[in-house]
Amino acid sequence: MDTTSRQKDVCVQTLQLAGSSDNPAVVLACERLSGVQQSEGCCSVSVDFSGLVTQESCCRFICELLKHVLYQRQQLPLPYDQLIYFLSRDHTSNRAMYYWKNNFGLCTESTDSLSLDNELILKKRRCTNLADSMKCHRVLAELEKLFGHLETLFSLTLVPRVLLLLGGSTVCPRELYEVNMEGIKLGNGEQSLKTSFCMQKIFRSLFSADVFSDLQSPAIMGAMLLVQGHRDCGIDWFRPKLAYKVPSRGWRLTINLSCCDMTLAPAIHDAATSTMQDYIWFQAPVTLKGFHE
Amino acid sequence: MLGNEKASGSKECRDFSVLTMEEAAGDLKQALPNECDSLQIHVEVHQRTSSTAKTEEVQSHVLKLLNRHSMVFGDYTWTDFDDSFLIKNVESVAIVDTELKLKDRQPIDLSTCRLSIHIFHLNEEGPSTENLEEENENLVAANHWLLPSVEFHGLWESLVYDSEVKSHLLDYVTTTLLFSDKNVDSNLIAWNRVVLLHGPPGTGKTSLCKALAQKLAIRLSYRYRCGQLIEINSHSLFSKWFSESGKLVTKMFQKIQEMIDDKDALVFVLIDEVESLTAARSASRAGTEPSDAIRVVNAVLTQMDQIKRYPNVVILTTSNITEKIDMAFVDRADIKQYIGPPSSAAIFKIYLSCIEELMKCQIIYPRQQLLTLRELEMIGYVENNISSLSLILNEIARKSEGLSGRVLRKLPFLAHALYLQSPTVTIEMFLQALSLVVDKQFEERNKLSDYV
Repeated sequence: MDTTSRQKDVCVQTLQLAGSSDNPAVVLACERLSGVQQSEGCCSVSVDFSGLVTQESCCRFICELLKHVLYQRQQLPLPYDQLIYFLSRDHTSNRAMYYWKNNFGLCTESTDSLSLDNELILKKRRCTNLADSMKCHRVLAELEKLFGHLETLFSLTLVPRVLLLLGGSTVCPRELYEVNMEGIKLGNGEQSLKTSFCMQKIFRSLFSADVFSDLQSPAIMGAMLLVQGHRDCGIDWFRPKLAYKVPSRGWRLTINLSCCDMTLAPAIHDAATSTMQDYIWFQAPVTLKGFHE
Repeated sequence: MLGNEKASGSKECRDFSVLTMEEAAGDLKQALPNECDSLQIHVEVHQRTSSTAKTEEVQSHVLKLLNRHSMVFGDYTWTDFDDSFLIKNVESVAIVDTELKLKDRQPIDLSTCRLSIHIFHLNEEGPSTENLEEENENLVAANHWLLPSVEFHGLWESLVYDSEVKSHLLDYVTTTLLFSDKNVDSNLIAWNRVVLLHGPPGTGKTSLCKALAQKLAIRLSYRYRCGQLIEINSHSLFSKWFSESGKLVTKMFQKIQEMIDDKDALVFVLIDEVESLTAARSASRAGTEPSDAIRVVNAVLTQMDQIKRYPNVVILTTSNITEKIDMAFVDRADIKQYIGPPSSAAIFKIYLSCIEELMKCQIIYPRQQLLTLRELEMIGYVENNISSLSLILNEIARKSEGLSGRVLRKLPFLAHALYLQSPTVTIEMFLQALSLVVDKQFEERNKLSDYV
């Protein structure tokens, strides 16, 4: 662990202690150093990368954060990747069963009733899980599709900001998660930091900020995704929302990603600044509905 | 205060008044009568959902289009364009609601009119739901639409009324906005932002509320970033716990309050069948109503007084049974509009629009031109080969008097289902079936009343 992150750790811990105390100076100082800011119904986490980042990495960040938020806010019963794993395992076990029945069907009939019983139990379990697994399939398919389209979008345009809205409508959501990438400096593959390294850093900051623990457990809410992109980027899956304004209501978490690289590479914000009014909000035309087990 | 100034500032640059019109259209007639004389024409431009073009750009292209077609007869909609920009970005350009201002269908010279161009995107997502009690997910307290919504597109045009119901409602809101803008002291001149539509069932009260909200969201898009329609589910506000109902009403209005706090949003609150929320309190004095119901009425009344101070909210209510409503509520309603069953002229219009739609879908084939009632009037109802079909339709319309709008809109469907059943029919056959189905409707109604 390097010195800066240790310093941050101390600050976060102090913050947690100082949260109840009323020494504003200490709180302020710690907030500045740790990159975590908390106030009533509003929370922000800042992550500084020590180098350049590729556009593909940015896309990965968004996808992973999306998965993370959905799981943390109990819209998915298990983390996305585990759901995928279990689903594929179920699928293969079903396939194996089918294979076994077709090829050795004669044997089972003659041998014993035990395997038949087993099969019944399996069948029963599968029936109760059927509704769940249908939901699961649907949600995962939708997410996968969304990730695909996000990848396309990121290849077409700079993306300064991304919003994930939970509950309510786009103008009046219950919870708002914003990823601000205006401070990111883009580089090509060789100059840039590894995606996995950046990801670790993001999630470290998120965990130490401990943003999700204070929220009460919610019901299933609709999740909407909005992405800022260039007007003429030519993406057709996302729907442009020309007059959209980021809502100020509801609980919000802002994740600020930036690069403190000293090279001359311009940040996304600077690159887009001359044409900032050409960056408009696009809404993904799906409302993700998670499920409880 | 600051918000108001900002809003009117943006109005000036967006609202296409005479000046900008002149700049953009140099070849149009320059001499313009003063503003009061000139007619205000509303042009609604439906921008494609995929289009990302800037409003100003769309506006200038639409102006060019209007320049080329500066003479129109009444309402007109363009959907095919020569301009490649319009083809790519615009679904339709429509000149609307001219008949609300002009009684007769007459040629309109656009160059002498003040043009208001409203450019809008339709919201595709359906209503989102609001729940009041966290633990009770299934109980939906309110539906919440973002306007303009796909669901209500074309609803306004489909509603046909005889008197100037529509223009009254639009003018009412215009005045409301004007008074709010000019900061008229609401202690001296009071207005409550409550509209009550009442009348027999099936006359389109709820539809009119929704259509009005949609229309205003489009018309006022220059000053409000988005429109919202909240339809309150009245029965969900009654709790199983004694004395909780009043609190639920307050909770509901708190949610509405949150939305109104956003100055950029124009919020419509629709309370359908309002008598269930505002049942006359005098009835409960006799002991037939539980006192919990009184609390609900009280809560609704006080909450309405709370939110009427905000300039960006309109409360729309409907009712079938007006005499059951609490007087204090009726008193608060600024407009108490009676909406009755349509007259034969309106019925003729409704049938005409139905037949037009069926011809478009090629269920009625071959296509035949029907005359409007006004055209029939002009030829003095003389029968010839052009007018004969229209005269038959007029006869059917006269026969149908007394049926509600909801019934009328389903008659073409029933006519096909009961008497035709073939994929394509001629208009003569269709009119015959329509006439039969009208007779049947009255027959059924008589039977029903006999049994009752």
